[in-house]
Amino acid sequence: MAKVMLGESEKWFIIHGIQDDMRNDGRSCEDYRHIEVETGVVSNTHGSSRLRLGSSELLVGVKVELGSPDPKAPNEGLIHFHVDCSPNADPSFQGRGGEDLSANISCILTRIYCNKSSIDLNTLGIIPHKQCWVVHVDVLILECGGNLLDAVSIAVKAALHNTGVPNIQVTDGDEGTQEISLPDDPNDVKFINTVNAPVLVTISKVGSRHVVDASSEEELCCNASLVMGVTKRGRTTGMRKMGGGSLDPESIPEMIETGKNIGRQLHISLDKLLKTEQGMAEDIEKAGYL
Amino acid sequence: FELISDEGYRFDGRKPSELRRVRCNMGVFTQADGSAYIEQGNTKVLAAIYGPHEASNNMRSRVCLDKCFINCEFSQAMFSSAERKKRSRGDRKGKDMSAHIKQTFEAAVRTQLYPRSQIDIYLQVLHSDGSLYCACVNAATLALIDAGIAMKDYVCACSASLTKETSLIDINHVEELAGCAEFSAAIMPKLDQIIYSELNGRIHQDELGQLVDAVTNGCKDIFAVIDRFEVITDNTEIAVSPRSLHS
Amino acid sequence: MSNITIRLPSTRRTQNQYETGTSYLVTPGDVITEDTDYMRGHGTYCTGDADDKLYSSVAGVVERINKLICVRALKSRYTGEVGDIVVGRVKEVQQKRWKIETNSRLDSILQLSSVNLPGGELRRRSATDELNMRSYLNEGDLISAEVPQVNVDGILSLHTRSLRYGKLSQGCLVIVSPSLIKRRKNHIHNLSCGASIILANNGYIWIYTTQHSSQTEEGDGGFIISNESIPIEDREIICRLRNCIKCLAKRSVVLYDTSILYAYEASMSYKVKQLLDDEVCDEIVNKTIYLLQQANVGNSEY
Repeated sequence: MAKVMLGESEKWFIIHGIQDDMRNDGRSCEDYRHIEVETGVVSNTHGSSRLRLGSSELLVGVKVELGSPDPKAPNEGLIHFHVDCSPNADPSFQGRGGEDLSANISCILTRIYCNKSSIDLNTLGIIPHKQCWVVHVDVLILECGGNLLDAVSIAVKAALHNTGVPNIQVTDGDEGTQEISLPDDPNDVKFINTVNAPVLVTISKVGSRHVVDASSEEELCCNASLVMGVTKRGRTTGMRKMGGGSLDPESIPEMIETGKNIGRQLHISLDKLLKTEQGMAEDIEKAGYL
Repeated sequence: FELISDEGYRFDGRKPSELRRVRCNMGVFTQADGSAYIEQGNTKVLAAIYGPHEASNNMRSRVCLDKCFINCEFSQAMFSSAERKKRSRGDRKGKDMSAHIKQTFEAAVRTQLYPRSQIDIYLQVLHSDGSLYCACVNAATLALIDAGIAMKDYVCACSASLTKETSLIDINHVEELAGCAEFSAAIMPKLDQIIYSELNGRIHQDELGQLVDAVTNGCKDIFAVIDRFEVITDNTEIAVSPRSLHS
Repeated sequence: MSNITIRLPSTRRTQNQYETGTSYLVTPGDVITEDTDYMRGHGTYCTGDADDKLYSSVAGVVERINKLICVRALKSRYTGEVGDIVVGRVKEVQQKRWKIETNSRLDSILQLSSVNLPGGELRRRSATDELNMRSYLNEGDLISAEVPQVNVDGILSLHTRSLRYGKLSQGCLVIVSPSLIKRRKNHIHNLSCGASIILANNGYIWIYTTQHSSQTEEGDGGFIISNESIPIEDREIICRLRNCIKCLAKRSVVLYDTSILYAYEASMSYKVKQLLDDEVCDEIVNKTIYLLQQANVGNSEY
């Protein structure tokens, strides 16, 4: 069964291990588990990615549609996040069981992306006040192995990087209206610029030290954690404290520093991988689940 | 719009009795007791099995004293179809499909061996291009075998449609929308028994036999492909455990 | 200084370079035999019609012991047998008994009368004992126990009457498929590398530090729980063993004390966290298999 429970002695073992900088699988407090990323795996979408972090597995599909812009920001496009927890991951997600978790994750994603710098929404506008691109990002969680937020944010950045928005022509039609025409060639796209897209870093406090990339067992031992969105340059785009425990105010700046460093490294690794993948031949078979 | 061209080829270049390319893999997930992934053309389905295990708290009312009960949930990803559709988990189509699949496997799994337990079958459609029920059944069969759950036989499912007196096997989404009668069935190939069948649309009574034959052949073809994959996986696992286990 | 690498997925392994041997593999619905002399074991069934064919109901290896035919599936939930050792987690505390989750079809039962009371007293359990059940075993605790009885409906009754079993203190749990655990005389080992291990038949492997108790050889029945910190050298041994076992389980190698020790020795040239990489994992497993095959050639009995 997928749900994890721990006895008290096991929790002490993990807590002492973290104090000594040797976690259950030998990692130190700032190591991530094995991450695998692949983009362009779902063909029905404009962009997609698949990610595996330890034993967490997810798929992200991005679709763009035409829609009307927000009256408060008539020149900009819109970006919506939706998370779906598949019952494959845990029987308790059956029916509406996974709704709390999905609402939580999509809320956090919206928070770190809805600012001026993350994704330049002006590039998604078409006709001010009338038409714009609406980007729907759909996350499907297939396995939960701890640290879902970081995994989701990395996969979302990879999928957005892979998303090609069709190049649209705006022509003047009759009587002063404007008409839009979509290109015939499906490859005539403009990729979304994800230079400033943030990733989430979850820093969990266990005992008196903090760890990143907590596995499901370690998550049970931690009462309080800090989730922050970090961009490539190390800037923070959003932060939130999770969990029922309390954080010592003096430890927060240290946690933020750790988060920024880790975030920067995540971006470097991810960008390197995305570049490698782009450089590969077009017809390389995607591994997918085969 | 012609489903079959004059030369006898279908919309995607197949012959009428030709299946789409089937690829599958077992043991895709580590946390579920059994899992499998199948691709039939562009229809891609992931299946995960949990069980047999003690009935969970909210399903205690369904526990049977003499056999296990099968709990099935079917869900489609938002990006699975060409237009993005916001689907809630418990919608009618999903519930309908879950009920059909549950019924199918209650006939095939040896439920009397697991009294008072529960077996969960979870199906997730990643990409939908016709014959959803069939791909789900095939994926669930492989996942049940991966989980080591006793079954009477494999369950293979296939769909067929009838146009201009020719039956088309393994129909895709475009052919589904064309409006001809559509027949899907799940059979146990070695025992040669049909355990589920569904016909949508209207056909003449004389044409039924032809459709049923076509579907049965299609199922046997699918079984041939799946069996080969399955045995290969079996081999690799056996190879590494020394035969001393049998002592 | 942390090291974060993100890489492209490697294609999943489908080919294996070892000989497959002459095992007889069947899949559900295959006819095993048409001879009516044989008795049906696990994994087989008859349709009960006119034909007396014996069919297989799971995918696995056919085992024939005299007149009994069974098919052993490669991966399945644990089916208990009398005399097995299990490691389970307390799921629920009920009246006079605990419900234990053991990776089997139904949860197992541990009666209040089947545990040792602190101090080793032998007396009837009173109402106070019932109310104090939680002070001994609470939800989420791990225990090691033996199976003295399998009930008709398949529920296992456990007991911890010996001092070897009882509540487990600090250590690390690894969950593998029950079919990978070799059935032997002894399942609790004090390994030569410095840690101890319980290879439970239900696939739960418990790794802990060797108790250096001056008391009996057997143990303390789980009453002395220490939540103090373990020295880092011992911790490293436990973490290394955990990673080695996970590597072996990923490649479906049978787990017993010899195979685990070979894997441990092969892993000494790497740091503990490097064992999480796929390539390192493959290398260690290949070395272990090679050593095991060499040992097979040498002796015929384990």
